[in-house]
Amino acid sequence: MKRLPLQRRTLALLAIIVPLLALFVFVAMRSGPLAPVTVTVATVGERSIAPGLFGVGVVEARYTYKIGPTVAGRVKRLMVDVGDRVRAGQVMGEMDPVDLDDRLHAQDATLERAGAGLREAEVQLLYAQTQARRYEQLLVARSTSEEVVGARQQELQVFAARRTAAAEDLARARADRAALLALKGNLRLVAPVDGLVAARDADPGSTVVAGQAVVELIDPQSLWINVRFDQSSAQGLHAGLPAQVVLRSRAGQGLASHVFRVEPRADAVTEETLARVVFDARPAPLPPVGELAEVTVTLPALAALPVIPNAAVQRVDGKTGVWLLVKGSQRYAPVTLGAADLDGDVQVRQGLRAGDRVVVYSARTLTAGSRITIVDRIPGAPR
Amino acid sequence: MINLAGRDILHASGKFVFTGVGLGLLIGVTLTMAGVYRGMVADGRALLDNSGAELWVVQKETLGPYAEPSSLNDDIYRGIRAMPGVSEAANVTYLTMQIRKGQQDVRTMVVGIASGAAGTPGWPPYLVAGRQITRSHYEAVADMATGFVVGDRLRLRRNLYTVVGLTRRMVSSGGDPMVFIPLRDAQEAQFLKDNDAILQSRRRSAENPAFNRAGVPGLLDAVVASQDRNPYVNAVLVRLTPGYSPSVAATAIRRWKRLNVYTRSQMEGILVDKLIAMASRQIGMFLVILAIVSAAIVAFIIYTLTLGKIREIAVLKLIGTRNSTISGMILQQAVGLGVIGFVIGKIAATFWAPMFPKYVLLEPRDSVMGFVAVVMICVLASLIAIYAALKVDPAEAIGG
Amino acid sequence: MADKGVRIEGLKKRYGEGETAVDALKGVDMYVDPGEVVGLVGPSGSGKTTLLKCLGAVIEPTAGRMTLGNVVIYDGAWRIDDLRALRRDKIGFVFQAPYLIPFLDVTDNVALLPMLAGMANGAARARALQLLAALDVAHRATGMPAQLSGGEQQRVSIARALVNRPPVILADEPTAPLDSERALAVIRILHEMARQYETAIIVVTHDEKIIPTFRRIYHIRDGKTHEEAGEGRGFDA
Repeated sequence: MKRLPLQRRTLALLAIIVPLLALFVFVAMRSGPLAPVTVTVATVGERSIAPGLFGVGVVEARYTYKIGPTVAGRVKRLMVDVGDRVRAGQVMGEMDPVDLDDRLHAQDATLERAGAGLREAEVQLLYAQTQARRYEQLLVARSTSEEVVGARQQELQVFAARRTAAAEDLARARADRAALLALKGNLRLVAPVDGLVAARDADPGSTVVAGQAVVELIDPQSLWINVRFDQSSAQGLHAGLPAQVVLRSRAGQGLASHVFRVEPRADAVTEETLARVVFDARPAPLPPVGELAEVTVTLPALAALPVIPNAAVQRVDGKTGVWLLVKGSQRYAPVTLGAADLDGDVQVRQGLRAGDRVVVYSARTLTAGSRITIVDRIPGAPR
Repeated sequence: MINLAGRDILHASGKFVFTGVGLGLLIGVTLTMAGVYRGMVADGRALLDNSGAELWVVQKETLGPYAEPSSLNDDIYRGIRAMPGVSEAANVTYLTMQIRKGQQDVRTMVVGIASGAAGTPGWPPYLVAGRQITRSHYEAVADMATGFVVGDRLRLRRNLYTVVGLTRRMVSSGGDPMVFIPLRDAQEAQFLKDNDAILQSRRRSAENPAFNRAGVPGLLDAVVASQDRNPYVNAVLVRLTPGYSPSVAATAIRRWKRLNVYTRSQMEGILVDKLIAMASRQIGMFLVILAIVSAAIVAFIIYTLTLGKIREIAVLKLIGTRNSTISGMILQQAVGLGVIGFVIGKIAATFWAPMFPKYVLLEPRDSVMGFVAVVMICVLASLIAIYAALKVDPAEAIGG
Repeated sequence: MADKGVRIEGLKKRYGEGETAVDALKGVDMYVDPGEVVGLVGPSGSGKTTLLKCLGAVIEPTAGRMTLGNVVIYDGAWRIDDLRALRRDKIGFVFQAPYLIPFLDVTDNVALLPMLAGMANGAARARALQLLAALDVAHRATGMPAQLSGGEQQRVSIARALVNRPPVILADEPTAPLDSERALAVIRILHEMARQYETAIIVVTHDEKIIPTFRRIYHIRDGKTHEEAGEGRGFDA
């Protein structure tokens, strides 16, 4: 009876203090560094994965013809513009001949002169031959001296040589003329194949140097994609592999293609392997040259092996591995990884078996001594 | 012997709890300020831990890459990889960018990570959703704090990146959440300007007669192409073979005279001492002020409560209560007030800490030190009231 | 009968020094036997408050002698080291106002004194309840002082004064705020308690209602007392 007031007071005190202390302890244990780490867990399954290679490339024409003059000159006229289709042999433009015609005239004159020179040399040779024969006959008839005969024979040879020289002069003049003609021919810009004019680099009136392109021609049927693959993720790339091409202007549309060739020379500066990928069917409309494309090459599926998501792969103390769940607590298990596919699955060659449970996502860095709480989804991480 | 202080508190519980709550909120603010500082240091440490590196190789005579800009050629890592003790060397770029998200911009730190597999230095060490980057372009792993979810597409410069994975607590030293993208894309993002600027620079090159020589077709194209490339990264992250001494490896690399190398402890010193120094001084001053204010409040309250009991104290003294008992009562009341305040403050701080935009880390040892400080402040604050109580003349109870 | 009864001889108290000195008590003689209740009557300024303070060991007299039972507590200097313990154990106080500790319940208000003296809580409370019962306020034992009427509070304060069984109780105007019925009730209680516990009680008062109840009265004027026989009337109004 007398103890009641005391107990009531003590009870009232406890009713306030105990929940407060409990809240305090709860707060201390559940948050901050003492709280357990939330993790999600996945079961290792045996599956076969199909690795893929991903690269970004540029649409290019397989053959690009840069048509230009072989000597410096001025563009006289161009009959085509960008986007025109041309046929093989079609004349697309002309360079200004400048003094070429005059030089041809001069060359014609030279040719005439050489011809005349030859005729003169032949006449003289004929005369010399006649003379030489006559004097030989006279020698036989002892009407003349040996010396005279010798002189005539020497003249014969001289005129023969002169004739040869004149003939060569003529030939040279002809050849020069042919060269000038060829030069004049080169003044015409002729399409070597059927194609599409892709660029017009110099307009009529501009001066261009030898070798500079005036018109660029491409064969639109021969578009391919010049793809760059990161060297570290280009394993297994070879010609013939199927690929999907997504052009930048047609996002979402995968165009079927295949790897045509892996370039023998890679880019050492950017550490990329180069390859050419061609469309299986020509896309309509044709993509412009220079458009970016994303290329995904599918490699053949590999044999079934234990597979884990790549989010589970950790690196502790320099060893690659995963956190393996053993009887409710985690243990670091070093693994040897195999191939990976583009969806984030990676093979485990050694270290895990199908049915093992591994930690995939964790809210904080795990250590061997952390306490863990297994959940379906890390709180705060949607989807 | 009954506890006079406890009885008084129970009797005037309303006043005590009310004051305790007010004091508690003040203490909660103090604990939170300390937590902000710890959070900043933890952010800095997290930044270093998450990079997975033991050595940071940066441009010579810079404190980069976090405290100062640093620029290295992207092929230097090959030579570093060959040095003794180095097991991995990876390029990394850091760029602070605003990324558009709906109607707002999110301030992020875009990290360019070298190609490889999970575990390469610079890669996020753990995820909370999705997967790591598998393609060499246009994929991103974003921190949860950006607000992006797996499947979102975000635009960086002129490319669209698909978010394939989410991380948690990956922040820069300034608290900006990180977005990881492939190194190549990051180099392009760091360097590439908008299209107008590119056209202008091409025009300028074309007008420069040194580059646009008629006799050398193709020279201009080569020059423009070289201008559009960015062969620079901000740092090379190095991991050593287990057991190899970081300072030995760092010294070897430093002999390449154009590079600076920092070990983990040196980087931590740079981050904590240089980046956080100013903020920590401010917080320190703030803590001192808060402590003084708390002391003043406790002193005021206890003094007022004591003065209200002066008559009873005189009676107690007259009827034979020892001075030490009376002082003890006042002291216990002050400490009780402090304990109530501390408990309320700690609970309040724990509940409102996650709402702060920056990371607030409430460490147990801060709480313990805070508790000790609160008790000491209460003891000191009660001295004024105790002095007043002891001065009371018991004779005043007689004679009314 | 040792340790009971109060004896005061030639008590003097001077405040201040030199020319501004005031002699509040100029040689007071008094005695109270155990079980006796005497009145101490005098106008304000007569020194009765000073006399109480000296008897209550809260101020030090200038000269004289005070004896409590057979123990001399003062003769020219304090003879007791721990005056506080003296007050706690040997002197009880009843004031004009009850002056109960507001944050202790009624039982603990009374039990506080024996607890301070070292008694166990349970025993102290038991003794407190005994006294509360004797004073007819046991039904209020678990209440807080604020819940009691004035008269009940006064009775609790009397219980507190008695709880340590002190040889002397000093009552300072205990009936001043009360009406005649209640005042007489208080005085009757004091007489009963004095008899029951063989305590000497000195009641300082100028309340005309209760003065006739004393058998002996000390009048004090200008620092000196003289004894007088009282009427010793009953306690009916």
